[in-house]
Amino acid sequence: MLAQIVKTTFGLVAVIGIAAAASAQDIALPQGAVVLTVTGEIDVANADGTLIFDRETLAALGTEEFETTTIWTEGLHRFEGVSLKTLTDLIGAQEGTLLATAINDYTVEIPVSDAVADGPIIAFKMDGETMSVRDKGPLWVVYPYDMSADYRSEVIYSRSIWQLDRIEVVK
Amino acid sequence: MRKPKFKLPMISRTLAVLAGLVAFIAIGFLSYDVARKIRLLGSASSDNVQWSLTQTEVEFLALQNQIEADPVDLGQLRERFDIFYSRIGMVNRAAVFAELRANEISSAHLDAIAAFLDETVALIDADDAVLLAGLPTLAERSEQLRPIVRAMSLSGLRLFAETADEQRQAVARTLTELAVALAALIGALALAIVYLYRLNIRIFNRELENNQTATRMRTVMGTSLDGVIISDGEGRILEFSPAAEAIFGHKTADVLGLEVGEVIVPDHMRAAHDTGMERMRKGGERHVVGKGRVRLDAKRANGEVFPVELALQSATTDQGQIFIAFLRDISHRVAAEAELVAARDKALASEKMKTDFLATMSHEIRTPLNGLLGNMSLLRDTPLNNLQDRYVGYMESSGRLLMSHISDVLDITRYDAGKLSTMTAPMNISALLQDIIDNQSSTASRNETRLEWGWDGPALHWINSDYDRLQHVMMNLIGNAVKFTKRGKVSVVLRKMTQDDNDQLHIEIADTGPGISEDLATRIFDDFVTGNTAYDREVGGTGLGLSIAKRFVTALGGQIGVNSVEGKGSTFWVQLPVTPALAPNGAEQPAEIQAPTRPLNVLLVEDNEINRIVAREMLEAEGHSVTLAHDGREGVELSKTKKFDLIFMDISMPVMDGRVATREIRKGHGASAHAPIVALTANAMASEQEDFKSDGMNGILTKPLSRTALRHTLSIHQPQSYAGNASLVSHEHSAETRDALGEEAFAKLRARFMREVEDLVAWLQSDETQDYLEIAARAHKVAGSAAVFGAVQLREALKLIEQAAKAGDNATIERVVFGLNGVWRDTKIALVE
Repeated sequence: MLAQIVKTTFGLVAVIGIAAAASAQDIALPQGAVVLTVTGEIDVANADGTLIFDRETLAALGTEEFETTTIWTEGLHRFEGVSLKTLTDLIGAQEGTLLATAINDYTVEIPVSDAVADGPIIAFKMDGETMSVRDKGPLWVVYPYDMSADYRSEVIYSRSIWQLDRIEVVK
Repeated sequence: MRKPKFKLPMISRTLAVLAGLVAFIAIGFLSYDVARKIRLLGSASSDNVQWSLTQTEVEFLALQNQIEADPVDLGQLRERFDIFYSRIGMVNRAAVFAELRANEISSAHLDAIAAFLDETVALIDADDAVLLAGLPTLAERSEQLRPIVRAMSLSGLRLFAETADEQRQAVARTLTELAVALAALIGALALAIVYLYRLNIRIFNRELENNQTATRMRTVMGTSLDGVIISDGEGRILEFSPAAEAIFGHKTADVLGLEVGEVIVPDHMRAAHDTGMERMRKGGERHVVGKGRVRLDAKRANGEVFPVELALQSATTDQGQIFIAFLRDISHRVAAEAELVAARDKALASEKMKTDFLATMSHEIRTPLNGLLGNMSLLRDTPLNNLQDRYVGYMESSGRLLMSHISDVLDITRYDAGKLSTMTAPMNISALLQDIIDNQSSTASRNETRLEWGWDGPALHWINSDYDRLQHVMMNLIGNAVKFTKRGKVSVVLRKMTQDDNDQLHIEIADTGPGISEDLATRIFDDFVTGNTAYDREVGGTGLGLSIAKRFVTALGGQIGVNSVEGKGSTFWVQLPVTPALAPNGAEQPAEIQAPTRPLNVLLVEDNEINRIVAREMLEAEGHSVTLAHDGREGVELSKTKKFDLIFMDISMPVMDGRVATREIRKGHGASAHAPIVALTANAMASEQEDFKSDGMNGILTKPLSRTALRHTLSIHQPQSYAGNASLVSHEHSAETRDALGEEAFAKLRARFMREVEDLVAWLQSDETQDYLEIAARAHKVAGSAAVFGAVQLREALKLIEQAAKAGDNATIERVVFGLNGVWRDTKIALVE
């Protein structure tokens, strides 16, 4: 317990990158393979009412990283990705729910209120390495579990969806 | 006032604080524990593991479907493989599956699955052609793996179900523990509440008690008749009770806070008071505090100084030392005491004056009366005719009656002044009664009354008692009985009784006279009580006789009383405590008075001319020659040059009184230094008689002189035969002894003998208490030695002493011892010649 607190205190790494103020026009159509498709009630779209990203365009939204342990992995890992808040800000989602679905069609509901600063990120790198599908990639919603006991609950664990490939925003 | 300190509540308070602290710590611990457990439950480290495991199987089936799909979509196949791969990788690494991995069976399943993935991954990553070619093999292998995946998923489910069960139980246990802890805590709190409640009640009661005590103290202070003043250690007044207000005349409000010395201490005592306060403040000695009641002066508001009785005590309170003073105004009491003392002094003074007056008067009356009686006695010796003789007889009896009245008054005066003493000596009660009966027999026969006496039961002749007093009492009682009984009978009966182990002598004097009325019987022993006036005239009497008898009997430790029936007779009785005395040898009968065998040479020292003439006449009538001296000085001078056989010495004389004169004679070495000296006195008390003897006198003769008493005295004090012609030492006898012993031994023995005699003489003349037996024994022993040396006179004298000692005849012993000095002095000279 105490170790966890220590880890959280010392292990949490502040945001490194500052997200560039992005607008709809800035979201370029992906050149590479699409890794994330955002649909539903969104203010911004780039392809037929949906918002699609490849790794580059997603990373271009601005990245954050932190260290934490997870219940699914061994040891301390560094995760890097786009803050969920950056995404909800971009698509203008103030409230409602994000229906996040994985490649294997596993779907969880993430309330928009979860998207806070220093909150969960859509990680695409673990320990500096791009995550493959074989290793929960390419995208994984990771909460900073070590930072708060609130993030170490069964609900949060269930929302930590890996092999994420689409999000539908519902009000 | 000391405020009670409550130690109990302090301890209780400490206990309560401790209990609270313990409870607080316990709550803290439990809270922490519960919070921790809840947090552990909340921070589920498990995800939905069951779902994950089931998903493993689902994802494996999805992969298998893709493998067996027709036509096969290689992209889909690869993706499904990756998903399954990822899932298995998660199961192999995630902490939540650690338990699963630890399980042997599950671990084997996982290894089999991992082996499958390792084998397959190369095929999946190969190009499409190779993958298409390897599909049948893949389908076969996946078909083989399917039951393993299912088994793993099932075993995992079972495992996690058990774990979940354990967790639930752990939670339940924790909650139970918490409940128990809470129950204990609540119980402890309840106990603490009960304890505090009781403590509260106790404190409340104590408070109540304190209030009551304080109220009581205030009431006590307010009601106290003594003024109560309380001051602090500096002497400033804290309280001033209503009684103090009344005593001192100050109002409480005016004096509070003032220095107590300024308010109540008189000016002349201020300095001492301030010094005392200063000393006490420095912790010095306390002179008044705690010393009980002290009498001091105090000052009222108007400046009046008055006596108070003060009790001062100090106490230590929270405010420091205080002094509590109880003051009582005793000015009335002191005044009353002074008045009482003055009254008593006055009463005593007048009482003394009365006694002195009576004593002086009776003495002054007695002296001329002595002269009258003495001259009448002489008158009888002259030729008188019958009528004259009768008249002289009347005068004589009147004079003697007057003398006895005066003696009565004097006796009462002495008794009431506490000066009546008794002299106890061996005496023969039978002889006393016989004398009185003889004396009264003529009166009795005149009254035709039979007079008899006797013992009822065994006789007790010799007793220790006061002869003179007893004679007076018996004379009075028997005389009365004889006087009042006409043609009747008077009987005196003696009886020895034993009461409470003490010998008692009971004497009854019963008569058949007129008797006494009941009323009179109760008063008969009071002063100045007489029968009816007719009898008074007939028999006379001051009415003091019986009251004196009662005083004498009382002085002897006895009782006196009367039983009487009017017209039948009276019975007077006397009961005395007595101790039997030894009958002196050969003294059963009173010794016959032996008239001196030769005329004596007498010196009479007397200032009163009439008394002097009477005494001289009487002595000369007996054939003795008399030399006269007018005062003590003259007597002393005469005694120096002339050797007298006997000296009569008056006591109170001008120039030099009889006692001083006696001492002078004894001190000097005059011719009559060793002559017997007899005191002449009208009033000799027992104590005085002792004084006379210590002065060197040998006897007492009471005035007025009677022939009988004078003859008795002469017979006692005449020079004994040893003083006559008997030779001092029989040299013949002495020579025999000397021859028998030889010169040297004789001288030695003689020296020893002389020492013996000197010791004896010194002892006999010393003031040491001596008993007759010892005197007799020692005299006897030395008398034996004296015979050996032929000291005839010395031996005679010692034998006389021995005999007298055995007979209890003190007078003879004293007389002979007195003469012993001269005899020994002469004998000594004769012996060494």
